[in-house]
Amino acid sequence: MGLLVWLESLPLSVWVHESPSIWAQPTVLTLHTMGMAVLVGASSVLDLRLLGISRSIPLSAFRWVFRAVAISLAVNLVTGVLLFMARATLWGTAFPFLIKILLVVASAATLLPIRTYVLQSDPEQRDVSSRAKMLAMISIAAWAAAITAGRLLAYTVAG
Amino acid sequence: MPSITSFNLAHVHLLLNHVPTIGSVAALGLLIVAFIRRDEGLKLVGLEVLFAIALLTLPAYMTGAAAFQKLRGQPGVSDTAIRLHQDVALYGFTWMEFAGFMAWVTLWQARRRGRAARGLVVTSTALLLVSFAVMARAANLGGDIRHPELGGAAGTIDTAEFLASKISNVMVNSPWAWPASETAHFIGLSLTFGVLLAINLRILGLMKRVPFADLHRLLPWGMLGFGINLITGMLFFVGQPKQYIDSAPFYWKIVFLMIAGANFLYLTVFRKAWADTRGAWTASGADKTMAYVSMFAWLAALYCGRMLPFIGHAF
Repeated sequence: MGLLVWLESLPLSVWVHESPSIWAQPTVLTLHTMGMAVLVGASSVLDLRLLGISRSIPLSAFRWVFRAVAISLAVNLVTGVLLFMARATLWGTAFPFLIKILLVVASAATLLPIRTYVLQSDPEQRDVSSRAKMLAMISIAAWAAAITAGRLLAYTVAG
Repeated sequence: MPSITSFNLAHVHLLLNHVPTIGSVAALGLLIVAFIRRDEGLKLVGLEVLFAIALLTLPAYMTGAAAFQKLRGQPGVSDTAIRLHQDVALYGFTWMEFAGFMAWVTLWQARRRGRAARGLVVTSTALLLVSFAVMARAANLGGDIRHPELGGAAGTIDTAEFLASKISNVMVNSPWAWPASETAHFIGLSLTFGVLLAINLRILGLMKRVPFADLHRLLPWGMLGFGINLITGMLFFVGQPKQYIDSAPFYWKIVFLMIAGANFLYLTVFRKAWADTRGAWTASGADKTMAYVSMFAWLAALYCGRMLPFIGHAF
């Protein structure tokens, strides 16, 4: 608790939380949402491909997805940490917040074996193993659950 | 930021409210002539016009809600007459979106088959006919608002009887309706954004060896996200119109959505690109500009939406 109080009292945290500036909480929150759109959007497109949509495209053509994921994940890590710091004592003690974080980590974790699979695929490979299909299904479900948990925080914890 | 009411939204409504009726007549005319002449190209044009009208029906409805707030309480204006007009317009809007959706499905499938499927064109035309009939009734009732001498049909109807009131009641009072719709809205936006990211990146030069036509199967998933967000977005608007009608970022959001929607139509009927089945097609400067405009419009719509509670108007 002492750590959370300290985090929340840092000048940066106070600025994000209390500044009336449009660049404070509103912009941080909006960047977090934009990051979500790119992150979930790009990984969903790859998941759809693995599940059999646009079957004629070789898997190796989707390498760009991991660059988009890396950039948006970095944006959301930074903005997410800022949003956490701004109200550390609230988020740090809320069980629903822990659920959201676990779901985000689980969703991002599914991308690691998917990444290995796609990067190691033959340049012309179009067939998808059943294990990769299973991972894609878990990935889509996990992102949907993470978004749900995140959105509901506004009603359960910060409501 | 200048107040949104300073450029009078009621006037914008008087301009846009002609689109669903007069536009429908135009689209119907094109489709009927296309059937008589057996002109496949003209059928596609009729369907494209239909899709554009379905898009513009959104701001037509929304500016109407703004006009309602301006007019209410004024002498000689019947609240019930406005609500009746609004309710029929809401039904008309729903039919029009169904028609626009069917037109899109027909256009998308026509790209795969080389020509529009007869059954789908007939279904789209039939839905358009129904929308036109309901919209004509809405337009008629709209005329009654300012012209009581025409003998309006409104009389006295219990406010709670209207569809808009019922939707609003559920959205405001149910503990889960608003949060659930918001969650679906976020999932829908991610889906649409992801699909358009893939297609626009291909236009901008990524995945160059992938034939453009191979990406075609992704489009319906973008449309699915768009549809989820149209429905949930409309539930928010009908649920709490006052939160939006005097909010500047909201109208900017609708403007960006219209641009993004027009771009989606353009992508659907992107003939020279979709004809590429061997990966030989490269985008021209104009195509690339279009891709940048598309990505910008979606990000701007998202920005305006997320900023709604912070710019100009607090929830």
